[in-house]
Amino acid sequence: MESKLNNLNIDGTEYLTEIPKGSLKSYEGMPDLSEVRAFIPGSIVDILVSEGDRVKPGDILLLLEAMKMHNEICPGISGIVSKLHVSKGDTVKKDQLLVEISGL
Amino acid sequence: MSIMKSVNDFLARLSSKLKGGGEIAIEKQRKKGKHTARERIDELLLDPDSFLETDLFVEHSVKDFGMDQKVLAGDGVITGFGKVNKKSVAVFAQDFTVAGGSLGRAHAKKITKVMDAAGEAHIPLIGINDSGGARIQEGVESLCGYGEIFYRNTRLSGIVPQISVILGPCAGGAVYSPALTDFVFVVNKISNMFITGPQVIKTVLGEEVTQEELGGAITQASITGNAHFYAESEVDAFTTLKKLLSFLPANSNEKPPVYRTVLPVNPLGDDVIPDDRKKAYCVKELIRGIVDASDFLEVHERWARNIVVGFARLDGKTIGIVANQPRVLAGVLDVNASDKAARFIRFCDSFNIPLLTMVDTPGYLPGTDQEHAGVIRHGAKLLYAYSEATVPKMTLIMRKAYGGAYIAMCSRHLGATFVTSWPSGEIAVMGPEGAANIIYRREIAEADDPEAFRKKKVDEYEEKFSNPYVAAKKGYIDTIIKSSMTRETFIKALSVTDSFEIGHKHGNIPL
Repeated sequence: MESKLNNLNIDGTEYLTEIPKGSLKSYEGMPDLSEVRAFIPGSIVDILVSEGDRVKPGDILLLLEAMKMHNEICPGISGIVSKLHVSKGDTVKKDQLLVEISGL
Repeated sequence: MSIMKSVNDFLARLSSKLKGGGEIAIEKQRKKGKHTARERIDELLLDPDSFLETDLFVEHSVKDFGMDQKVLAGDGVITGFGKVNKKSVAVFAQDFTVAGGSLGRAHAKKITKVMDAAGEAHIPLIGINDSGGARIQEGVESLCGYGEIFYRNTRLSGIVPQISVILGPCAGGAVYSPALTDFVFVVNKISNMFITGPQVIKTVLGEEVTQEELGGAITQASITGNAHFYAESEVDAFTTLKKLLSFLPANSNEKPPVYRTVLPVNPLGDDVIPDDRKKAYCVKELIRGIVDASDFLEVHERWARNIVVGFARLDGKTIGIVANQPRVLAGVLDVNASDKAARFIRFCDSFNIPLLTMVDTPGYLPGTDQEHAGVIRHGAKLLYAYSEATVPKMTLIMRKAYGGAYIAMCSRHLGATFVTSWPSGEIAVMGPEGAANIIYRREIAEADDPEAFRKKKVDEYEEKFSNPYVAAKKGYIDTIIKSSMTRETFIKALSVTDSFEIGHKHGNIPL
């Protein structure tokens, strides 16, 4: 099994070695709590807030139906609903942006 | 009934049972490139005519959903005992030709019966999985069956070796019996393991993925690490399985069988690793230069390739080898390498197999990904496994033994019984470059010629620590040897510890 060798820096030393695909993943950053995203694909069955509403963790923003369950989608921070990106009946993909909250 | 009549009646019943799911189902099985369950046991696994079948006449007693009209030969699983290279084993093989090999109460009871017998007879258990999953008509009885199998897999763990061969679908809860066993074999284009199949994934996540991509043999052997051995055909899988068994004792109260000593094909010389420490080499070539007949059976050949583990013999005695692989990721330790080595070490400790650890590692793989994947938690398993092991633990430092990875790779400090180094060994907190950069950070920055100053300090650190003598002075290394002396040195070390204590110590929890 001959494969390409590349440099891998460990503690300041460059080693010539094989680097298997996916073994050096880059960091995607901490999740942005002002963005509420779909944790699962599904459809929006109800929206319980309007833009401008003041919300806090525990409040229900909308209901996302997936796997035959109505999932209550709540904000991760307190703030004002600054933008609703979906409407009732929309189908959404995993990680799709649903609601933006601007912190207080 | 006259005796002859009863014999004829018996023969007719027997012949019907032995046909499994019948000609059409068997033809379907063959079209998929698969052997029948009976062929797998009788022809591929066991010594000729050694199979002693049990429970061929077991039938289910389900009445719902028209099941009372169906007689399932052997209830879809063949169980019994036999010999592999003259050593007894217990075996079960699910028969896909009978109701898709689905697992119901009677089917599961046959399996648990042979598992209990393996435990009582202190012999290895080999399971051949080829099943569509739970027999839905039986409801909770089927789930009960799986649970009772998992329970026994766990209770037998570390007492008798348990090996699973996945020769067909093995989906949903069914995957957990193999996952609890010591070794899992998969075969290209035949094996499939997953918790939720492609259809469910498509419905829930909208992802299109084939069965092969999701949980085929290549995936299980190279991405997930669920499978320890990958084969291109069923025949090859059983050949490797028999070889694996040859290295193992029948149970935790025995030592592995001892074979005649055979010299390596290409014994190690004195110049076996590159002069430049930054250059890669394949550690497997060195292993083959040390062990009997250059014969090394690698476990997890395709997964976490930055560490190499497997079985070999030294002076005819089985040893388990754990070696950093500089060829891949410079031989760093990471999450997967730690899990792979730790579980292998614990298997060897369970079954009285001495360990030989071969060290050439620059440390741990840096990165957010590794930290967030829990390299602290996973790395700790390696420390635990080595510290816990009471089999003879022999260590060879080939070159780099840096920092925490030096400690983790069976150092004296974790209870190694014998530690040796080649003259090329470098035991230090880190490589000379990194060390000089840290110790002389300010001086380098303030120097008239920072690069020249840095190089001077790197050389100084290298001069001081890039050798095995500092550690040898403290007694952390027992001997320093030329690489050509490796084999005979370890043969001597192994014979010193020949009468090490054996017996059941612990199970082999999946790590």
